[in-house]
Amino acid sequence: MDYNQFGNFNVPPQWKKYLKNYRRILLGILVVFLLLTSLFQIEPEEVGVITRFGRYIRTVEPGLNMKIPVLERLYKVAVERQQKEEFGFRTVTPGIQTVYTKGDTENESLMLTGDLNLADVEWVVQYRIDNPYNFLFKVRDPINTLRDISEAAMRQTVGDRTVNEVLTVGRAEISNSVQTVIQDLCNEYLLGIKIEQVVLQDVNPPDPVKDAFNAVNQAQQEKETLINQARSEYNKVIPRARGQADETIQMAEGYAAERVNNALGEATRFDALYKEYIKAPDVTKRRIYLETMTSVLPRVGNKIITDDKGNNILPLLQMQLNENQKSR
Amino acid sequence: MKTKNHGEMKPKKIIITITVAIVALILILDCTFIVKESEQVIITQFGKPVGNPKTTAGLKVKLPFVQKPNYFEKRFLEWDGDPNQVPTLDKKFIFVDAYARWQISDPLQFFKRLTNERGAQSRLDDILDGETRDYIASHDLEEAVRSSNRTPIPSGTIGEEVGDTLSDITTGRQKIQSMILKSANQRASDLGIVILDFRLKRLNYVEDVRVQVYERMKSERFRIAEKFRSEGQGEASRINGEKEKDLKTIQSEAFRTAEGIRGKADARATSVYAGAYNQSAAARNLYSFAKSMETFEKTFDSTTTVILSTKSELYKYLIGPD
Repeated sequence: MDYNQFGNFNVPPQWKKYLKNYRRILLGILVVFLLLTSLFQIEPEEVGVITRFGRYIRTVEPGLNMKIPVLERLYKVAVERQQKEEFGFRTVTPGIQTVYTKGDTENESLMLTGDLNLADVEWVVQYRIDNPYNFLFKVRDPINTLRDISEAAMRQTVGDRTVNEVLTVGRAEISNSVQTVIQDLCNEYLLGIKIEQVVLQDVNPPDPVKDAFNAVNQAQQEKETLINQARSEYNKVIPRARGQADETIQMAEGYAAERVNNALGEATRFDALYKEYIKAPDVTKRRIYLETMTSVLPRVGNKIITDDKGNNILPLLQMQLNENQKSR
Repeated sequence: MKTKNHGEMKPKKIIITITVAIVALILILDCTFIVKESEQVIITQFGKPVGNPKTTAGLKVKLPFVQKPNYFEKRFLEWDGDPNQVPTLDKKFIFVDAYARWQISDPLQFFKRLTNERGAQSRLDDILDGETRDYIASHDLEEAVRSSNRTPIPSGTIGEEVGDTLSDITTGRQKIQSMILKSANQRASDLGIVILDFRLKRLNYVEDVRVQVYERMKSERFRIAEKFRSEGQGEASRINGEKEKDLKTIQSEAFRTAEGIRGKADARATSVYAGAYNQSAAARNLYSFAKSMETFEKTFDSTTTVILSTKSELYKYLIGPD
């Protein structure tokens, strides 16, 4: 190369200085390139897996790290981040009010229960990558594998339970069992994944039979209502009747007391009278008779006194009296 | 700047040097190759496999130009079957969707028999679909759905009605899966692959069977609903009857007790009266007299007319003092 040739291109004088130092500039560019390809940063939730000529060499922790450029290759794996897979639904936009869609996931969620009924089960598998080496190098497409495992595990578990267990009492037990099954399979397949939690979301009867299931709940409510109404009617009537019964008995007892006391009183009075009476029966009797008449006769409206000769006027009087009474 | 001084004399030398360097580089590059952690390699020489498969990762050497590395997966690979419509032994039509994990265990054999992964997937389709079909068709649906004879957790009143029980199975899903796995592996034994796991993923009724199942589920639930309603009405009637019974019992018992009390009191009073009035003839006489007097006192008022003869005790002196 003839250096003088550059003069023919009319290089501006201020550029000539740089051209003279082209070796240094090239060197500088090389250094920057090497630094950029050998220095790298690992975020706090990640680790870096490094291979040299394709072979696993080491795992590096979060922070600034170095590798040999070109020969070593870096894979970043987010080991601390909790990730999740959704089954039977999809999150559309996460947020305070997350939007979900059922979309086309019915095939994932519709499954056979042990008593050959159908249930629609939606669930979430939360997991973490706990072995980056296995995760990267042991299984192709580990996430899809996890999905297959999860579906098989859920169906295996639900397939061993009655539809009622799945819909009501068995929820917690199912998510625990499923978690165990998934974890075992992950270990068996060397997925390098740790299952943190399996959460059952909506577990429903399939749409076409939902109404029938609701009808059962409704009937159960109705039953309770009918029984409660009958009980309340019972409670309205019976305690009152008990009170009334007590009243009746108390009244009878009152009557009894009155009756007996009256009898005793009258008997006592009579005894007293009798005691005096037998001392002088005739006089006493007469006295009482006359006294009674004295007190009674003034109150009587018509007093007619006859002697033997006036006997025949009696029928007349009788007629007159009868007329008086009629006209009144 | 030095080259400038000598360059005029040796441009050819420089060209030769560069050419040699490039050729050397190509040679070096072509007699080494990289095996990744996820790969294994078979070396072929003019298409014929030579040497042992390279199954560990790292930088490897080979003869340049004449030898060629063939890369194969070392990882577990997926096989996902198409949903198959299969009748079970008890004549229920279901869709079976299964998956398997497999691995190239003998790359040389694999290379000879299947050439590549696509070939393998296609053979796996044949083998696994066939085995699945055979085993599903020779078992009842329940055997493919259930895994164990566990006792279900009772689920309360509704469960009691439908029956919280599962019928017993003899084989079960796990066994069917492992049988399929076993016979599939036998059939695949000379292909250089090993099937690690086979699982039934989805089992679903075909559409018209599904409709029938829905109808059954519905009628079952409606039956329970009716039962509940009728139970409610029955219980309400029972309570109502109990109410009537209790009411009548309470009322009649009260009446009986009250009448007893009254009767006793009446009897007592009667005996008291009798004791007093019946002690002698004189007493009887006095009683009837006194009672008559009392009656006069009580019954005479202003509307009463009394006709008295002058012969009576009271007015006999009206005629004269004697």
